[in-house]
Amino acid sequence: MKPLRILLIACALSIVTPHAAESYRIAVIPKGTTHEFWKSVNAGAFKARDELAAQGIKVEVIWKGPLKEDDRDQQIQTVENFVTRKVSGICLAPLDSQALVRPVTSAIRAKVPVLIFDSGLKSDNYVSYVSTDNYKGGVLAAGHLGKIMGGKGNVILLRYAVGSASTEEREAGFLDTLKKDFPAIKLISSDQYAGPTRETGYQASQNLLNRFARDVQGIFCPNENSTVGMTKALRDRGLAGGKVKMMGFDAGSQSVTDLKSGDVQGLVVQSPIFMGYKSVMTMVEHLQGKKVEKRIDTGVALVTPENMDEPANKDLLNPPFEKYLK
Amino acid sequence: MTKGRILLSQFGPFFGLFLVVALFATSLAVKDIADHRSADSSTWSQAARASHYDGLKAFLGVTNVKTVLLQSVIVAIGALGMTMVIVSGGIDLSAGSAVALTSVLAATFLVKGWPPAAAFAFTLLAGGLIGLINGTLIASLRMMPFIVTLGMMGVCRGLAKWVAGNQTVNTPEGSKISDLMMTDDLDHLFPLPPGVWLTLGLGVLLALLMRQTVFGRYVFAIGSNEEASRLSGIRVPLQKVIIYALAGMFFACSGLMQMARLAQGDPSGAVGLELDIIAAVVIGGASLSGGTGSVLGSLIGALVIQTLRNGSSLMNWPTFTQEIIIGAVIILAVGLDRWRQARAAR
Repeated sequence: MKPLRILLIACALSIVTPHAAESYRIAVIPKGTTHEFWKSVNAGAFKARDELAAQGIKVEVIWKGPLKEDDRDQQIQTVENFVTRKVSGICLAPLDSQALVRPVTSAIRAKVPVLIFDSGLKSDNYVSYVSTDNYKGGVLAAGHLGKIMGGKGNVILLRYAVGSASTEEREAGFLDTLKKDFPAIKLISSDQYAGPTRETGYQASQNLLNRFARDVQGIFCPNENSTVGMTKALRDRGLAGGKVKMMGFDAGSQSVTDLKSGDVQGLVVQSPIFMGYKSVMTMVEHLQGKKVEKRIDTGVALVTPENMDEPANKDLLNPPFEKYLK
Repeated sequence: MTKGRILLSQFGPFFGLFLVVALFATSLAVKDIADHRSADSSTWSQAARASHYDGLKAFLGVTNVKTVLLQSVIVAIGALGMTMVIVSGGIDLSAGSAVALTSVLAATFLVKGWPPAAAFAFTLLAGGLIGLINGTLIASLRMMPFIVTLGMMGVCRGLAKWVAGNQTVNTPEGSKISDLMMTDDLDHLFPLPPGVWLTLGLGVLLALLMRQTVFGRYVFAIGSNEEASRLSGIRVPLQKVIIYALAGMFFACSGLMQMARLAQGDPSGAVGLELDIIAAVVIGGASLSGGTGSVLGSLIGALVIQTLRNGSSLMNWPTFTQEIIIGAVIILAVGLDRWRQARAAR
């Protein structure tokens, strides 16, 4: 009978008292929850929460995303549900630069501010855009790959997914630089997609290698699951370890192991902890009425087997996320 | 059956919806109190008096009701088409893929600069064609609906990716199409978004078709006993072709709504949607062996599924627990329904 009684009390109560000052509920919605990258973003968001709590600002960070990175409808529903919960603000990494425009517009109309992180949105109706300079990441990748290939040979670009702005920018940066700085390098495939999971990335890589294994000298993959999938496919065929130069993006634990063992010749690494941290911090500043930058760059670095033991790179490769995710 | 029992079987799905809503309302109220209690470290009754019940209010509030209605549209329209198929003793597994294909087609037509009316009409025709092929194969070759539509599921998915060139097809900028599934004013229940009205309108139409026309009686007759229907002169193959073709048009309508919602045609979207749709119909009281089912029940079934998703989200449960709970509730709902029917039959 207890729940019923509580329900009755709940229905009877209708007095609204104002909230205590400086207390916010911020929803952080990643593209997915299975990649390690997002765990680091999550850690960064919690780090911001803990630091703010130390300053006496109570922030509840609600972390919620679709299980798979291509479930647009589920992400839209998540945004809508947070709007109905009237959270103080939403930090969103849009799965698709167009499909999420409508729900974000709806949220803002309902007076819930939205901050975009990681990946862009085809709209400028948001608080701030906090992300890696993805184009620059692609430029770094092309520069390193071109160099270790000696400026010649055949290259494959395995794309990630259609409509994902962040990876499309990396791909564009890679292709532009290759064309400009390494005219002797030939692009033999750039129309295949890794898809949302390691399994789909692995399959796409196997198919590509079945066709191009004899011709290819260098490969670029623009995110975690495509990098892991392609490296695995290269190993299966005995092409790993430098026979085919492999350039990846993001520091998942598998990619870092592959970098150590020499199966990957370079990783372009973002700082996901800083991204999560900066997103929550910026949202809180906005909620406090402070003016915030419309575009915030969270940095990108090139890590190779040679420089991977430098302290700064060590933290990027093995983000200390356990520290914040308890 | 007595009148009371007929009433009970008619309103069964409502009990389900009521149960789900009450369950979440109670859990949210308890959660609100618990949140408050941990903050002030007071007793339960003190916390109950002091809590603002933000979670509960958010769940039962107009904004949320409107959101759930909107989120249910795609499954609900699909469930209307599926109701016909399931009542006739069949099944259509190609629904999700058909939704993806028609959403891509509609977006492609719009990109080509067709007037919206023409684009919509041809999309509906395309959906009808998919259903026509399903129905013809099932009726003429006497193949299992499960197998035929399983095959069609793959065919439609592949076609969608082909038509879309393996990409999402974005609708032209500034197109008014998103308005179908968008709401400006979240603080008031009315005006409801056009998609919700469309669902209700289609529901009324289908209910009339199923209850008041000869065709509708045939659908129930075929589902109850196909052989007897054939022997009493119903042209079963023709009826089946019509049933699947009509269902295909409903799925196309879902596809249009999907496109409006995403502002794009997504060839890899709506994966597994057919299972949501079938679940809605079954929660709504239909039997997978045919002969029973109702339009109203299926609409309520769609609402039950969406309320479960929405409630889990408000409870802050992670996505994987949502999936487990929705699965369990489907089994529970159908189990309860069977138990109720078994008692009614005694």
